[in-house]
Amino acid sequence: MRLRRVTLQHFRNIAFADLTFSARQQFFVGANAQGKTALLEAIGVITALRSFRASDNRLLITHGQTEAAIACEIEHERFGASRVVIRLRTAGKEVTCDGERIQRLGDYLGRFPTVVFSSQDQLLVRGAPTGRRRWMDSTLSAMDGAYLRSLQQYHRALADRNALLKRGAQAKEIEAFERPLAAAAAMVVQQREQGAAVIGSFVSAAYSRIADGAEPCLFAYEPDALLRTEEAWSERFERARQRDLVFRSTTVGPHRDDYGLLLSERPARDFGSEGQQRSLVLALRLAQLAYFREKCGVEPLLLADDVLGELDPRRRERFWASLGSERQVLATGTRLPEADLGAWEVFDVASGAFAPRPEGPAR
Amino acid sequence: MTPAFEKLQKQLKQLPGLGFRSSERIALHLLVEKPAKLRELVQALEEASVSVRRCSRCGNLAEGELCAICADAKRDPSLVCVVEHVPDLVALERSGAYRGVYHVLHGKLSPIQGVAPEDLNLPALLKRAQSGEVKELILALSNDVEGEATCHYITQHLPAAGVKVTRIGFGLPSGAGVLYADSVTLKSALEARREYS
Ligand SMILES: [Zn+2]
Repeated sequence: MRLRRVTLQHFRNIAFADLTFSARQQFFVGANAQGKTALLEAIGVITALRSFRASDNRLLITHGQTEAAIACEIEHERFGASRVVIRLRTAGKEVTCDGERIQRLGDYLGRFPTVVFSSQDQLLVRGAPTGRRRWMDSTLSAMDGAYLRSLQQYHRALADRNALLKRGAQAKEIEAFERPLAAAAAMVVQQREQGAAVIGSFVSAAYSRIADGAEPCLFAYEPDALLRTEEAWSERFERARQRDLVFRSTTVGPHRDDYGLLLSERPARDFGSEGQQRSLVLALRLAQLAYFREKCGVEPLLLADDVLGELDPRRRERFWASLGSERQVLATGTRLPEADLGAWEVFDVASGAFAPRPEGPAR
Repeated sequence: MTPAFEKLQKQLKQLPGLGFRSSERIALHLLVEKPAKLRELVQALEEASVSVRRCSRCGNLAEGELCAICADAKRDPSLVCVVEHVPDLVALERSGAYRGVYHVLHGKLSPIQGVAPEDLNLPALLKRAQSGEVKELILALSNDVEGEATCHYITQHLPAAGVKVTRIGFGLPSGAGVLYADSVTLKSALEARREYS
C-alpha cells in the first residue's frame, strides 16, 4: 500500500501537520525530540490502533487536549483509495474507514499493515523475554482478531486469578476462574505455536539473505509449557494452586513464554557477534514484513526510525535489496541518508512542524 | 445557586449516567420550569422506596413477598434462568420466548473489582437448586471471563444430580451480555442453549 497524505492534530508535540507524499521514499530530518518519531508513531497507529512505543494511548494526546486525530489517505491494493480517520480520546478511540465507523476491532485488523524498524529493536535479541513476547503478540494480533481476543481474555482471567491469590480466596472461587484462564491459555499457546512456525521460516530465510549466510538461524517458540488443551491447562493451574497461593501470583502459564533465537544452534544473545545480532534484528523485522504481506496480501509500509545510519554499507545494501521494489519507506534521521539509498522526498522537522524541501538535485 | 439546590444537584449527580451538567439541568427543570411535577416525583419516589423490594425467591423487583413472575401460576418453576441484572431479565421477557422463572444474581464474580460470592444473590439460588423444585438451570450470564467463571462457580455448588445445567450464548457476540442483544438474537440464544458442565 501507499500512503499519499497524512494529517495530524494534537498528536504528542505536533499541534497540526498536513503532509502530502508523491514519491516512494520519504525522509524526515531534524534534531532529536522535534516530532520525527511522533510522526512515524502516528502512522504506525493505523495498523493495530495502538502505538509501537507507548503502552497507553492517552500518552499520544497533546498535553492539555482531549483528543488526538490521525487522518490518512492510502492507496490500497485491495480497497483502492481509502481514507482512515482515527480519533484517540482519553476514554477510548473512534475509527472511521471511508466515512464508515468501525464497530468491531476484529473487522479492522489486518487492513493497513506497517512495520517499524527502530533502534530499540536490539532488545528483541538481547533483552528480556517480555520484549520478544510483546513483539510476537503485536505481530500476531495485528493480523488476527481471534488471537487478540484470546490474549485479552487470558490477561483478564490472569488478573482475576492473581487478585484471588493475593486475597487468599477459597479454592473453589480460584478454580472458577481457572476455567476461562485455561481455555484462553490453550488458545494462546496453539496460536503462538502456529504463528512462530510461520514467522520462524521467514526469519531463517531473511537471515540467510542479509547475513553472510554461513550459520543457520532458528527462531523457535519456547513455551512455559507446551500444553494445547483446556483440560491440560486446568490440571496445570490446579497443581500450581498451593504454590501460587504462597507466591500470591500465578507462576505457570503463557505469560511466561519466550521465543528462542539460535545461530548455529546456540543462543544468539550469548554467542552471537555484534554483527550477527544486528543482522538478526533486521531478519526479525523482515520476517514481520513478510508475515503481514502473506496474511493480508498487502505490501506494508516500512517505518524506519533513526536506524539507517546504524547499518554498515554491506548489510544495508543486502537489506535494501531484500525489501522488494514495491514498498514505501518513511524514515527519520538527524542527517540525510547516503546517496546509495536512492532519491527521497525530504521534510525538515523542527518543534513539531514539517517543511517540505523544494526538489533539489538527486538526494 | 442556593445551598438546598446544590444539595439536590449533588444527589442527582450520584445517579448512574448523570454528570455535572445533566444533574444541573434536571435540578433546574424540576425547580424552575416544572415545579408542579416535583410533588408527583417526590410522591413516586416515596411510594416506590416503601413498596418496591427484592423478590424473596428470585431477587427480581417485587411489591409483595414474590415478584409478578414468581407469583404467576402459568410460569414453569422447574425451569430457572439465571441472569446478572434485572434489565437482563426485562430483555429476556421482551423476547417473549421464555415460560420459566428467573434468578437475579445482581452482578457476577469479579476479583479485580472486588466482587466475591458473598456479594451476590448466590445462597438463595443454591437453596432453590437443592430444594428439588428446579429441573433445569439456564445460565444466561455474559459471555466473558467473569461470566464464565460465575457459571462455573454455580455448577461447582449444585447438588450432584437432579439439576440439568444449560448455558445460552449461541448467537451472542463474544464478550457481550444479554442486555445488548436484540429480541431475535435472544430468542435463538435461548433455543440453542447447550449443556454446561
Ligand atoms: Zn421472583
